Amino acid sequence: MAATMSSGVALLGITSSSSTFCKRQASSSRHSVRMSVSLDEKRKTFTLQKSEEAFNAAKELMPGGVNSPVRAFNSVGGQPVFIKSVKGSHMWDIDGNEYIDYVGSWGPAIIGHADDKVLAALAETMKEGTSFGAPCLLENVLAEMVIAAVPSIEMVRFVNSGTEACMGVLRLARAFTDRPKIIKFEGCYHGHADPYLVKAGSGVATLGLPDSPGVPRAATIDTLTAAYNDISGVEELFKAHKGEIAGIILEPVVGNSGFITPKSEFLEFLRKITKENDALLIFDEVMTGFRLAYGGAQEYFGITPDLTTLGKIIGGGLPVGAYGGRRDIMEMVAPAGPMYQAGTLSGNPLAMTAGFHTLQRLKEPRSYEYLNEITRELIQGILEVGKKAGHAMCGGYIGGMFGFFFREGPVHNFADAKKSDTAKFGRFFRGMLEEGVYLAPSQFEAGFTSLAHTTDDIQRTVAAAEKVLKRI
Amino acid sequence: MSVSLDEKRKTFTLQKSEEAFNAAKELMPGGVNSPVRAFNSVGGQPVFIKSVKGSHMWDIDGNEYIDYVGSWGPAIIGHADDKVLAALAETMKEGTSFGAPCLLENVLAEMVIAAVPSIEMVRFVNSGTEACMGVLRLARAFTDRPKIIKFEGCYHGHADPYLVKAGSGVATLGLPDSPGVPRAATIDTLTAAYNDISGVEELFKAHKGEIAGIILEPVVGNSGFITPKSEFLEFLRKITKENDALLIFDEVMTGFRLAYGGAQEYFGITPDLTTLGKIIGGGLPVGAYGGRRDIMEMVAPAGPMYQAGTLSGNPLAMTAGFHTLQRLKEPRSYEYLNEITRELIQGILEVGKKAGHAMCGGYIGGMFGFFFREGPVHNFADAKKSDTAKFGRFFRGMLEEGVYLAPSQFEAGFTSLAHTTDDIQRTVAAAEKVLKRI
Repeated sequence: MAATMSSGVALLGITSSSSTFCKRQASSSRHSVRMSVSLDEKRKTFTLQKSEEAFNAAKELMPGGVNSPVRAFNSVGGQPVFIKSVKGSHMWDIDGNEYIDYVGSWGPAIIGHADDKVLAALAETMKEGTSFGAPCLLENVLAEMVIAAVPSIEMVRFVNSGTEACMGVLRLARAFTDRPKIIKFEGCYHGHADPYLVKAGSGVATLGLPDSPGVPRAATIDTLTAAYNDISGVEELFKAHKGEIAGIILEPVVGNSGFITPKSEFLEFLRKITKENDALLIFDEVMTGFRLAYGGAQEYFGITPDLTTLGKIIGGGLPVGAYGGRRDIMEMVAPAGPMYQAGTLSGNPLAMTAGFHTLQRLKEPRSYEYLNEITRELIQGILEVGKKAGHAMCGGYIGGMFGFFFREGPVHNFADAKKSDTAKFGRFFRGMLEEGVYLAPSQFEAGFTSLAHTTDDIQRTVAAAEKVLKRI
Repeated sequence: MSVSLDEKRKTFTLQKSEEAFNAAKELMPGGVNSPVRAFNSVGGQPVFIKSVKGSHMWDIDGNEYIDYVGSWGPAIIGHADDKVLAALAETMKEGTSFGAPCLLENVLAEMVIAAVPSIEMVRFVNSGTEACMGVLRLARAFTDRPKIIKFEGCYHGHADPYLVKAGSGVATLGLPDSPGVPRAATIDTLTAAYNDISGVEELFKAHKGEIAGIILEPVVGNSGFITPKSEFLEFLRKITKENDALLIFDEVMTGFRLAYGGAQEYFGITPDLTTLGKIIGGGLPVGAYGGRRDIMEMVAPAGPMYQAGTLSGNPLAMTAGFHTLQRLKEPRSYEYLNEITRELIQGILEVGKKAGHAMCGGYIGGMFGFFFREGPVHNFADAKKSDTAKFGRFFRGMLEEGVYLAPSQFEAGFTSLAHTTDDIQRTVAAAEKVLKRI
């Protein structure tokens, strides 16, 4: 049975049922006059039937039915939503439900999903080929943009994912300093290379995994951890491992444990202690890059690391990662230097095109003012209606990134974050989903807005939150 | 009447590529995003590509080439295939990435599972490097053992544990190992020579009960082209079973290239786990690892072994992969690849011998290679004895004749369904010309 690949048509293993399965709910308001579909009615007709069928099929084919763990919705009651299409700030699932989307494909969609200019550019570029396996001018172009934008980056290497970028940067830091140890912070996530799977955030935190099996002790023995925002913890590590530490890597604003900001003196302290110890400061800006500000967290906070990793946004919706920084360090990377790292699809013209047009749009005046405005309105709105309904909540935002926790603030580190009421988060998530708002399906992930989110989107979201928070 | 080949060589210029490369070297390490692209082992001065189509490439100076790199593997149905492009143009309107499940992942998963003998369950990732990383952690998790056997000259991406006697760019650059790889990361990586049965037996004796598995390229493409001896794969299958270790085929290069079911179909040996890449992305970044269901069920979120990816399984890549595999599934695809690749490599070896060069080589399906030395070449040590300087001259000569080979003796060559007999004949004619004068 052949499967056709035109936009979202019937596929193998999926029964195409013409009758919708409607969840009937007892309603006490049958006598009210309804001019438009009320939210109650919307929730009554809300079904994920096709998603359920698709997921059942998927679980036979792929581990857990997904290609990335957090997509399985395990910490929010399971039954993930299968997406049919996205545009701007909205998503449509295969049951026909529409959502205001605050995941943004986990970061890339900052100028809005399926931006027309990006799509047009991709359609043009692809005619010349999607991958050359050889240098092309588009790599120079995007490299220049990234170098111009990010304060620490004087030289950059493109790769295919944040995971690859963080792997590369770790090997580079070790090669440059000729030291083995790396400091990371609990709850931070830097991709899934073995050395980083120690007290990691993101899906590891979501699934409640301590570490992953299959990671040899030898691989993590040089990974030192401290609590985020804990200055004395870091000082002790440098004392205990004097001369052995290659560097510190961190998310300058944590997005993989929910949204956690650095205390005012924390980043400055890290910059100072690394310099004093000839260690490197590495900002993992895979999430924060081009999202907090055009120059990322380092521009926003005015702290310049030695190396930076990027991803998500710079691919404009295609797989791209990057690491870059001081020229003298980057010149160690093969073939300029001896530190090996390669990639067949690295720098491919399609991804470079998507990244270029995405950055171009972000460079336009008021992009980040706009992001700050709507994100502030969003998070302040949610926290307000939450408090009104009597919930313990805290949260914040910077640029196009936000988060909230179901607990009293402040949240300064992963241990604080873990004390959130994750069961309540699950209920909130589900309720919002039925109201047509798609949040990250985990308490331990930040939220993302985009230039395509309108004030109408925000107001509807806050209204939905108000409704849901009253009943959970 | 038309431009003679001599004239062509006189007007051959890489001026714009030179300028672009000089600019690139200020922006990116070595001016490239992957080491072998810098042409270091073939005299430097890489070619900047403007466009590709079918079996041809055009550089930014306007030179046209018959291409045997195929973007290092993905382009097996030809560059910029019209059907693939049309499908991509349609799919992208619905978005290029969701960060959430989509039906296209199910579709491509089914195709891969149906195609590859060992694969009962599959996880898509974004590159061969990610696939090989994932499969190593999985093998260790499943067996609860730390050690992995790899073969000298094989390349499995650049995760630390694999940067030991690696092939590809590591071999090309003559790097022993990479700095920045802690001894602790490679201490569990055991190496043997390819095709060396006794070497593997000794490793299992010396590290009894500690070996999680063996990973290999079932046909080596990262040291040039090296085939397994007839009993080698069978032996590996047997000794892993006897020791409760896993056999892992890294088919990132050979998958869908030697046969629709890859090397495992071609040789009739079924591993426990397989990695894929290149072709299954149809020109977009995709990797995959898959295998026995009971092993794959250990992967999060089904099991505790962690591995994730933001762009994994994105609809655009799934579309490109689907249409590429659809085309490959058509009748006679692999017959055709075998025919033209045989004609190509036999032609090159023939004219090489005629011109008095020591050469050997071979092909399977759409993959080939040749060495400037007498055969046979059974492992990396043999491969290293090739005349790499002569290869460099051959490479440059062919470039000026409009033929783009892999810029390294230690990389296999690739043909595609778009390569015509005319392409092959012109290539052999060019080789004859160049081999006479180098």
